[in-house]
Amino acid sequence: MKNIIFLFLAALLAGCEYELSPWQTDAHCPGVSVEENLAKLAAFEQSVGKVDFYQVAIIGDPQQYPGSFENTIKHVNTLDDVHFILLVGDLAETGIKAEFEWMCKAMSKSNKPILSVIGNHDSLSFGKDIWLDVFGPYDYAFTYQDSRFVAYNDNQYEFKNVPDRDWLAKQAEPIDGQEWDHIIGVSHIPPWDADDGFDQHLKDSGYELTIHGHESSFDHWQWQNVLLPHYITTQNRDPGFGILNVYPGVLELDDCSRECTKSTPRIVVPSQPDVVEL
Amino acid sequence: MKLYKIAVVLLLTLSQAQWANAVFMDLQSGSLMGMVHASVGGTFSDNHHISTGVGYVPKLDNHEEMSMVSLRYRYQNPYQFSFKINEGSYSFSPVSFGAAVLVGSHKELFVELPDQYPDGYYNPTAIRLVFNYQSTLQISKQTQVYFDLSVLDVGLISYVREPEFFMDNYDYLGLEGVTNWGFGLRHAF
Repeated sequence: MKNIIFLFLAALLAGCEYELSPWQTDAHCPGVSVEENLAKLAAFEQSVGKVDFYQVAIIGDPQQYPGSFENTIKHVNTLDDVHFILLVGDLAETGIKAEFEWMCKAMSKSNKPILSVIGNHDSLSFGKDIWLDVFGPYDYAFTYQDSRFVAYNDNQYEFKNVPDRDWLAKQAEPIDGQEWDHIIGVSHIPPWDADDGFDQHLKDSGYELTIHGHESSFDHWQWQNVLLPHYITTQNRDPGFGILNVYPGVLELDDCSRECTKSTPRIVVPSQPDVVEL
Repeated sequence: MKLYKIAVVLLLTLSQAQWANAVFMDLQSGSLMGMVHASVGGTFSDNHHISTGVGYVPKLDNHEEMSMVSLRYRYQNPYQFSFKINEGSYSFSPVSFGAAVLVGSHKELFVELPDQYPDGYYNPTAIRLVFNYQSTLQISKQTQVYFDLSVLDVGLISYVREPEFFMDNYDYLGLEGVTNWGFGLRHAF
């Protein structure tokens, strides 16, 4: 009897190291951090040298479907012109550790660097802490083939004072006198209607395109009075993703499943305030 | 604070349950129910058990300090086999299934949608369903120890929806990717 009680107590103590609740934060996600993937991208850029054309895959909202996400990644692996993947958020549905770990397992199948930006669902529960620990900063910028990619957090319900307009403008400035071929913003949520003047701010800062997820289907639009295109990729479902085609001075976008179709931005006319006749 | 009040009321109510054949107290660690989860419950129709409990996790490197409450149901299959070790008699009951509603209490979790969100924007993040399997060892007339395997709601849904993903990436038919484990002690009064 004493032996059994001793064994039970030992197991009880050992149990403390296991899953204590759904809200643990120590997600096991090797190799997915922004830092590691930027290092991979820099090494790849060095190996290929300067190119006149490359593609970027845009995957968004894979939450709750890690199998579909893995299939998409395996499909993108076969696309030689794709140099890296932008993962535009919502890896998790409720921000818990297990959801992130399943997505990380799928991401580990990629043969290309994956740069991730946080989504609103990723920020739920203790997802903000998991994100910082696993992926790194919410906001970051990098340069690839003389183009500037600026990833930013714009989940306004979950974070205060985002997006950081000053920081966004700063990231678009030339570094050591180098002008950018393209400046591209990347976030989870397309510009908020209530974020007055944000589009104009990005445009004035030199941004040429922004890329997002968050919505259930492909979209591509720009305000008539600003003409800054916003590309939104579809929810990732076996496979559903966007492709950014980058040429010197030209950006083109494709909506892709097994096949791809060209995407052009529609014009959206800002709603006018009601006219009151005096 | 509201959660504690609910838990206390449930515990007192259940401990006085007249319909129960037996009243038991349960102490569990791990398997998603907290570092310690204390429950009081009743047994009815011999094999059906209902309990309510309070769990706790202290502040750790991988966990915020948090309390939680639960309402659990468990069905224990009557099949069991007995054996003796060193004059002691034991019986082992290998099959028991259950489900629990687990409600976490922390400022980062919500039961009701916070004011900043439009209606229906998210489901509650504090309320989770936990499905579990237990193997029970009766170590005395009134006391059991058990091994618990649990699956969280989202784990069960994901596994059913995309079993190939889990089978390809995790051991034991992919169940390694969705299951968690813990131990417990149960004493009947």
